[in-house]
Amino acid sequence: MASIIDIKEECALHVRDFEFTYKGSSAPSLKKVTMPIARHSITALIGPSGCGKTTLLRSFNRMHDLYPGNSYGGEIEFEGRNILTPKEDLIQLRTKIGMIFQKPTAFPMSIFDNVAYGMRLQGIKNKTELNDRVEKALKDAAIWKEVSDRLKHDANGLSGGQQQRLCIARAIAVEPEVLLFDEPTSALDPISTQGIEKLVIELKERVSIIIVTHNMQQAARVSDYTGFMYLGELIELGQTEELFVTPKEKLTQEYITGKFG
Amino acid sequence: MTAVQKRIVINKIALTLSTLSALIALAFLFWILGVLVMKGISALNWNIFIFEGAPPGYAESGLKHALVGQAILIGMATAIGVPLGILAGTYLSEYGKNSKLAHTIRDISDIMMSAPSIVIGAFVYAVVVIPMGHFSAWAGAIALGIIMIPVILRTTDDMLQLVPGELREAAFALGAPKYKVILSVVYRGAKAGILTGVLLGIARVGGETAPLLFTSFNDNFFTTDLNAAMPSLTVTIFNYATSPYEDWQQLGWAAAFILSMFILGLNILGRVILFAGKKGK
Repeated sequence: MASIIDIKEECALHVRDFEFTYKGSSAPSLKKVTMPIARHSITALIGPSGCGKTTLLRSFNRMHDLYPGNSYGGEIEFEGRNILTPKEDLIQLRTKIGMIFQKPTAFPMSIFDNVAYGMRLQGIKNKTELNDRVEKALKDAAIWKEVSDRLKHDANGLSGGQQQRLCIARAIAVEPEVLLFDEPTSALDPISTQGIEKLVIELKERVSIIIVTHNMQQAARVSDYTGFMYLGELIELGQTEELFVTPKEKLTQEYITGKFG
Repeated sequence: MTAVQKRIVINKIALTLSTLSALIALAFLFWILGVLVMKGISALNWNIFIFEGAPPGYAESGLKHALVGQAILIGMATAIGVPLGILAGTYLSEYGKNSKLAHTIRDISDIMMSAPSIVIGAFVYAVVVIPMGHFSAWAGAIALGIIMIPVILRTTDDMLQLVPGELREAAFALGAPKYKVILSVVYRGAKAGILTGVLLGIARVGGETAPLLFTSFNDNFFTTDLNAAMPSLTVTIFNYATSPYEDWQQLGWAAAFILSMFILGLNILGRVILFAGKKGK
């Protein structure tokens, strides 16, 4: 019954018959989700609270593995392999698929050390290389001008919006293929939100982006494709404009016109 | 009297009683501190830091032996208790979490925290002093270290759990292995709290007498031999205060004053660090 668009361009990820069950739960929280994620474009996931959009997002970098007892089914294809197998190297995977969280997660260290964190994990010690890449990441995240004179200051001194851009700089510094955004602006004011949205759109030239949002206007503003989820199922995936203007499923229509959710 | 008036009266009575109780409790604390400060300061002089113990009646007697011995004992106890306490607390917060084993360890640690310290002294006497055949600084330090562990374990566990889970997830999401997440993110986030726990742990054992009585025992002379009985401020206070000699009693007051100020200072420092850490966030 689901209406899934067939994406013609190159895909970054392929989700096929994906199922996810939380520890101790008898029924899966995600049921038979099949969804292509287009490369170098923005895919938004919308749907009411509890529909599974964040659960799906956290499956792409296998964040659920931090808490034992959860189980996956089906497959998620990335770079030609199924990343759900036990032999998948999660450390490698997470450097390729980065994540930005709902609340800014600046580490308790300097601004510079925050951005350098991922690179240092990869063993980059060369000072000039670190300096150059930190500067580039901060510039790409549109925060360089605000912090260039206080890179050694504690990152917790920044405002919420600045911290969120710092987290984006930290994530893109390791040059991932995919970036996952989990409601990245829900804790921010409108002006910071605008800044982050602009940044997300700029980033798609280099990375494939999946963004979970509560805010339908945000999905409409930033994304190329939108997936509507309901009760653990992907109801509809389409080009954003089409999905919002001429949805194919009745449920989608009801949700975007505010009949529930 | 209406119901409301009655409630107002009951409220006033309860407030008066509880305020009075608080004042009485505080009065004793300040009474103790007041007597200690008056008697202690008048007994202080430079000889205390220059000379070791001497028989009663000698002018050249001091507390150098006990001060150095106390420092050695506390230093060694810290070297034993702090790593064990922090590592165990790390296990509870980061690995054990809500497992059965973790809960059991937490319960046992809480029981250990309220165990009479003399029992721990007796335990160390049985497993260290008797096999060695004599009292030693090692035995005293082990006894104090054991007492320190549950204090540090508990604060470390609590403080690490205060670090938001999102911060850990964010580090994992950058491809950090678990030990790096703990070392570079979780410990940093909790460092003020852990440091406070360490200071409180040191303060907790700094005033212990009972576990030292039959482990490091005491000595009236200066020594740095870890394999022999080691003087400590607390046992020296006990010996001097219960002696009939006026000059020894004076030294006892001085020792009590120095020890109390040390422990008070640690407690205040611990709170200041914790407060500054909170303000920083």
